[in-house]
Formats: sequence, structure tokens, C-alpha cells
Amino acid sequence: MPIDWDPIWLTLRLAGITTLLLLLIGIPLASWLALSRFRLKPMVEALISLPLVLPPSVVGFYLLLAFSPTSAFGAWLLQTVDLQLIFSFEGLVVASLLYSLPFMVHPIQAGLENLPVSWREASYTLGQSPVRTIVRVLLPNCKPALLTGIVLTFAHTIGEFGLVLMIGGNLPGQTRVASIAIYDEVELLHFDTAHAYAALLLAISFAILLLVYGINKRVTV
Amino acid sequence: MIHIDVILPRLFAEGATELNVQIELELGGLTALVGPSGSGKTTLLRLLAGLETPRSGRITVDGAVWYDKEEGVNLPPQQRAIGFVFQDTALFPNMTVRENIAYAAPGGQPGLVEELIEGTGLEPFLNRKPGRLSGGQRQRVALARALVRRPRLLLLDEPFAALDTHSSHQLQQVLVKLHQQWQTTTLLVSHHDADVQALADRVIRLVEGHVQTDERIGSRMPDPLMHERIKQIEYDENRQVWVIETANSRLQSTNPAWSQFKVGDEVQLAGKTQRTNGGFNL
Repeated sequence: MPIDWDPIWLTLRLAGITTLLLLLIGIPLASWLALSRFRLKPMVEALISLPLVLPPSVVGFYLLLAFSPTSAFGAWLLQTVDLQLIFSFEGLVVASLLYSLPFMVHPIQAGLENLPVSWREASYTLGQSPVRTIVRVLLPNCKPALLTGIVLTFAHTIGEFGLVLMIGGNLPGQTRVASIAIYDEVELLHFDTAHAYAALLLAISFAILLLVYGINKRVTV
Repeated sequence: MIHIDVILPRLFAEGATELNVQIELELGGLTALVGPSGSGKTTLLRLLAGLETPRSGRITVDGAVWYDKEEGVNLPPQQRAIGFVFQDTALFPNMTVRENIAYAAPGGQPGLVEELIEGTGLEPFLNRKPGRLSGGQRQRVALARALVRRPRLLLLDEPFAALDTHSSHQLQQVLVKLHQQWQTTTLLVSHHDADVQALADRVIRLVEGHVQTDERIGSRMPDPLMHERIKQIEYDENRQVWVIETANSRLQSTNPAWSQFKVGDEVQLAGKTQRTNGGFNL
């Protein structure tokens, strides 16, 4: 039984790129949420958390409408940067960024909020800016939270199904990620292939979590 | 001169509803802020540091306005030249002792960090993380770190609270030495009378957010010795100390020999060098 490795590589690539980009977006966002007393903060927090409670098909449906070339946004993207976000890998990345955002932001925000306020205040009284305080003092002291954010985001993106199905479809090499491939193979009654993909995902997920708990134990002393 | 005039709404246990403090601190002095728990001592330090904002008032330090409600001035902590030693020391656990001290060190003065390390006796622990230090060592690191920017005002929040007698004494010696060396205007919050007596030249008692008493333990007299006449002498039964007031100073001692003095006597006043057992030798 020859296995097509493409869906596995595609899944890992999607999860890797999403995690990297979300780390860059999530750290400033989580820091801002943790330290600011902005009045509209609850609004921003609610928006970020929406993907946690909405069915993936709802998120996927609205993204499908937004990304479609017949919508204003989709048409604009296509015309100005020649980018089509439905049925494309780029579209999956953008959708995953929105969908996995809370999995990156929440742990980091909670990690930062749990640090003693006096560390931040001490840094301020030493003349240091909030950004330098975050980079030099706060983030290095919540490594477990950062790690948790990275892993949850990666694992959650690996497990995406409904969202990918809605806006990505099932294009080999483009949007046919492992979870879609499993569904597809079962539909075709190729249980052996489905089983191989499923076992691989299971093994990868377990290995990642094992690694994280192992590392986290050493970091949080 | 440091002028402090701050009002902050706050509920105190006995019913007072605001912290309302007006004091002036001489530059170079070491003032102790004492009073019962919850009397607003730490809050006052935080107001001075810019970590909390008063409802109204004005804070000026040597002419520079740090806070003025009417002028709309409120400098952030970063722009106030302060050193703050937090009660929990607030050392950064990810940095070694040396990195903690050097964290905010201004560029171009490499000798400054070394001078502070030597002054606080921290050489043996430089590469340790704060988690592996004793309470007294941590306070000394916090003190060195707070002084690294050469602040105009040093604020110490209960630095002796969690220390045993030996560590406390050691920290006092470091504090006195650094204070004499650098003459940083210092405001020290403390519960312990012994610490206050050994260190401060002025004691302000805060009760329910208001200054209840404000007394000088002895003015900072330059050597050589000064001669002053006694204006008033009395024995404080409660505290069992002799209290002598001259034109410029208020002195106290448990020394029974003080009973021979009377109003009008001329006495020689020595500086901190002759201070013993919380009093002065005359």
C-alpha cells in the first residue's frame, strides 16, 4: 500500500507557518492585552476568543464569503496582489491564523498576567520602556506559557478539519491536508490508507505533547 | 529640596477617607517613614515613584516638576530619577546578580556597576540567580540595582522586614556606607524602631494617611564638632530616653549621664560618627 506523503508534509507546513506567524502576532497582542488598561479591551478579547466557541463551519463560511472573488475584499486581493484565498494554501494559512489565534494569545497573556506586578514596576522605575521590559524581563520569565502557546497552536492547526473543508476543499498538494485525506480515504473505503494517516497524526501529536511536557518540567523549576 | 504635596482618595481602617501628605525633604537626608500597617507609607512611596497617581497636588524635586495636577504634569516612572527597592525585592529571576545590577546601568560608566558590587559586598554571588540568595543578599542586590542610575531620590519599602538581626545589621551598614558616599536623598519605610534609630536623621510618622509627627533625630552636622546651647531638656518616661533640643537639633539618648545637663548648657555635637545605641554621645 503506497502512502502519499503529500498530505502529511502539507499539514506540517501549514502548522509550522501558522505557528511561526502567530508567534510574531501573538506575543505583541498578548503583551498589550496583559499590560494595558484600554477600555475596549474586553471587546478585543471577545473577538480573539470567538473561534473557541464557534463551529469551524461558521468561521469557514464567513471566510469563504470574504475571500470569494465575488466579494469586495476577495476581488480587491485578486486585482491588487493577485492573491486568491479560497481553494489555495495561502488561504488556509490566513484562515488558520484567525482560527488558532486564541490558542497562542491566551496562554501567553495568562503567563504575563501571572508574573508579579513588581517586576514590571521595578523595570519602569529603572527607566526602562515597556517594550524592553517585556523583552528582557517578562517574556524570559514565562517560557512555559510561550511553549504552551506554540504547541497548542501547532497541534490545533494540525487538527483543523471543518475550516479547511469549507475554504480549501480537497486539492492535492494545495489544500489536501492529512485530516481531509483521512476523510477522503474513508469515503473511498480505503481504510488501510486512512488508518496510516490517522496513526501518523496520532503519533506526531503524542510526540509533540510528550516533548512539551518533558521540556516544561525542566523550565518550571 | 523635595516638595511633596499629594492627596489621594483612600479608605483607611479607622474612617479617614484620603491620604493627604505635605512634607519637604532636604537633599541628601535619610528620612524614615514609620507608622502602623495600612497608614499609607507604601502608597506614598508609590506616588513619588509615579506608580500611582494622586488626585491632586504637586511633587517637585530640586526645582524639577514631577507631578502637578494644575499644570497637567505627571512624569512616568521612567522619567523620574528614582531608585525603588521593593519589599519583595522584585529581582528578575532570569538574570544573575550581576545582570540584575547592570540591567539599567547607563552606558559609558563601566566602573559604576563594579563600584556598587563592591559597596554592597556582593562579589562572591555575582553569577548566582536571585533564587539562590538569602533574603539579606537579595535586598543588597535590589539596593545596588536601584542606585545604578544615580537616582535623585531613593525609596526603600520595608527592606528589613523579612531579615534576621544579622542580615538586617549587615544591610544597615551597607545602606549607611552608600548613603554617606553618594548622599542620595532617601526615604525609608520601616516598622522597626531600631533600624530607624540607627539610620535616619528624621522620622515622619504617618497615621491614617496624615503626618502625625515629624521629628529630627539629629541634624547632619559636619565635622569638626559644633557647639550649641541646650534650649530644652526633658526625660520621656514612656520611651525612657532623654530628649535635648538645641537651636538646630533634637537629640535623644538613654545615657543616664544626660541628667546632669540643664537649659543653657553649651554642648558639643558630633556627627554620625559618635552615634551609639540609637542616641548621641555629647
